[in-house]
Amino acid sequence: MRITVDHDLCDGLGQCALVAPEVFSLDDDERLVVAPDPAPELAGRVAAAARACPVRAIAVEGA
Amino acid sequence: MHEVVVVGAGLAGVRAGGSLRARGFSGALTVVSDERELPYDRPPLTKQLITGAVAEADIRLAGAEDFGARWVRGAAAVGLDRERRRVRLADGSELSYDGLVLATGARARAWPGEVPAAGVLTVRGLDDVRGLRAAVDGGAREVVVVGAGFVGVELASSLTELGLGVRVTLVEPFARPLRALGGAVSGLVAGAARRAGVELRLGVGVRGFRSVGERVGGVELADGQVLPAELVVVAIGMAPATGWLVGAGLALPSGRVHCDERLFARTAGVAGVTDPRIVVAGDVAWCDAVRAADGPVPLEHWSNAAAQGELAAGNLLAGPAAAEPYVHVPSFWTSAFGLRIRSVGLPGTGDRVVVEEGDPDSGKLVEAHYREGRLVGAVSVNLGRRLAAYAGRLQEERAGEPVPGGSVA
Ligand SMILES: Cc1cc2nc3c(=O)[nH]c(=O)nc-3n(C[C@H](O)[C@H](O)[C@H](O)COP(=O)(O)OP(=O)(O)OC[C@H]3O[C@@H](n4cnc5c(N)ncnc54)[C@H](O)[C@@H]3O)c2cc1C
Ligand code: SF4
Repeated sequence: MRITVDHDLCDGLGQCALVAPEVFSLDDDERLVVAPDPAPELAGRVAAAARACPVRAIAVEGA
Repeated sequence: MHEVVVVGAGLAGVRAGGSLRARGFSGALTVVSDERELPYDRPPLTKQLITGAVAEADIRLAGAEDFGARWVRGAAAVGLDRERRRVRLADGSELSYDGLVLATGARARAWPGEVPAAGVLTVRGLDDVRGLRAAVDGGAREVVVVGAGFVGVELASSLTELGLGVRVTLVEPFARPLRALGGAVSGLVAGAARRAGVELRLGVGVRGFRSVGERVGGVELADGQVLPAELVVVAIGMAPATGWLVGAGLALPSGRVHCDERLFARTAGVAGVTDPRIVVAGDVAWCDAVRAADGPVPLEHWSNAAAQGELAAGNLLAGPAAAEPYVHVPSFWTSAFGLRIRSVGLPGTGDRVVVEEGDPDSGKLVEAHYREGRLVGAVSVNLGRRLAAYAGRLQEERAGEPVPGGSVA
């Protein structure tokens, strides 16, 4: 699974982190941090996290 | 199921349409919208769109063109006949359905009294923002925003940010802006608004409006003072768009469509009965699965409309027996005056607020809201890192609760 985040779009709303906290989190400055190699069984949650992003900053391939 | 009609093409309706196709529905799909616009997203309207940080083309809702629907735009649904399974449109035509998604959202609540013919606006849609920008670009500099909920606060912030020398006065009958969030957030917002140059009139209501010819010229406050105004934005909340459903035999508590945990519409009269062909999603819904201690509460949040739209479609196809309950931790965000505010759960329903990280003086904090010792929600200001953990705790608490029963007829 390949996750790409468009950091120009992402403004650290953190909605993705609420859906898939294993993969998406925010740092102290409210910037998005993506875990490097998410387990394949998280694919459904990652897809849901991408749909939960209000600015569509997350793209997932191979999920 | 052969024919599905979705009424309302906001976020909930568009997600429902996409989800129907994603789940293999290959029948006839009709989406009805009373707006002429292509479906668009509302949160940027009062934030980035009004300031020009994003363009209209950037806020189109993804996926709406992809699911092979027949679109009926600029046509309001005006009636529902559940016996004959027909939706009646304003031009008198009818659409038949096997499955119906109610996703008509809400309207901006209008000022309850008389208003001058020109210069008093509300903001819910793209057209409203165009009108507001035109008024400001046309020279309006004295702007009064009535109501300091999230729409009013966001607008006050954006209008100030425009750099056009717009002077904004924010009037709020309660003592605090964004009071629904409770805790220290109101104070932070009020402070930031004042520093940005917004004049705040808190704890005083509006009595009425003064006109200059056809146009608004001032706002008369309850204490008798008159604020000069070239433009007034009334931001006093929303009213669910269910007028067209009156008489259809559905349960409409406080004007919203009542639905069970699986998003099937409850019928009026006999308690506990739902219509297996009608599901409800988004701002228009009053869902049994979204509850505070005292019972179901309505949500007016983006994430709720998206998630309900998706589930409603799935459940409509699955039928009541195989449908899944809606499991969702509410989440909301807003931003204004450099403050990025998010919440999870239902912070307004607590009886005790504790600052658990940061502090109001630093402008960064996380507040947890408890009711009788149980976590009911959390709010962060410029410190969203820990909210996911609170969402997890709220999810666990919900998982431990019994799901109240509800039979499906
Ligand atoms: C200005 C603004 C800013 C917001 N900012 C945020 C935010 O920052 N964060 C957040 O979480 N939420 C925010 N929200 C809330 C969020 O946008 C809503 O929860 C969401 O739009 C609800 O989607 P919906 O599809 O249920 O309803 P709506 O978006 O209201 O869509 C309903 C659609 O149905 C149409 N319709 C109504 N009646 C009929 C009829 N009889 N026939 C045909 N069509 C009809 C309406 O015209 C509309 O197009 C904001 C809302 C507004 C208005
Ligand atoms: S939900 Fe979207 S905008 Fe928010 S942090 Fe995640 S990727 Fe960024």
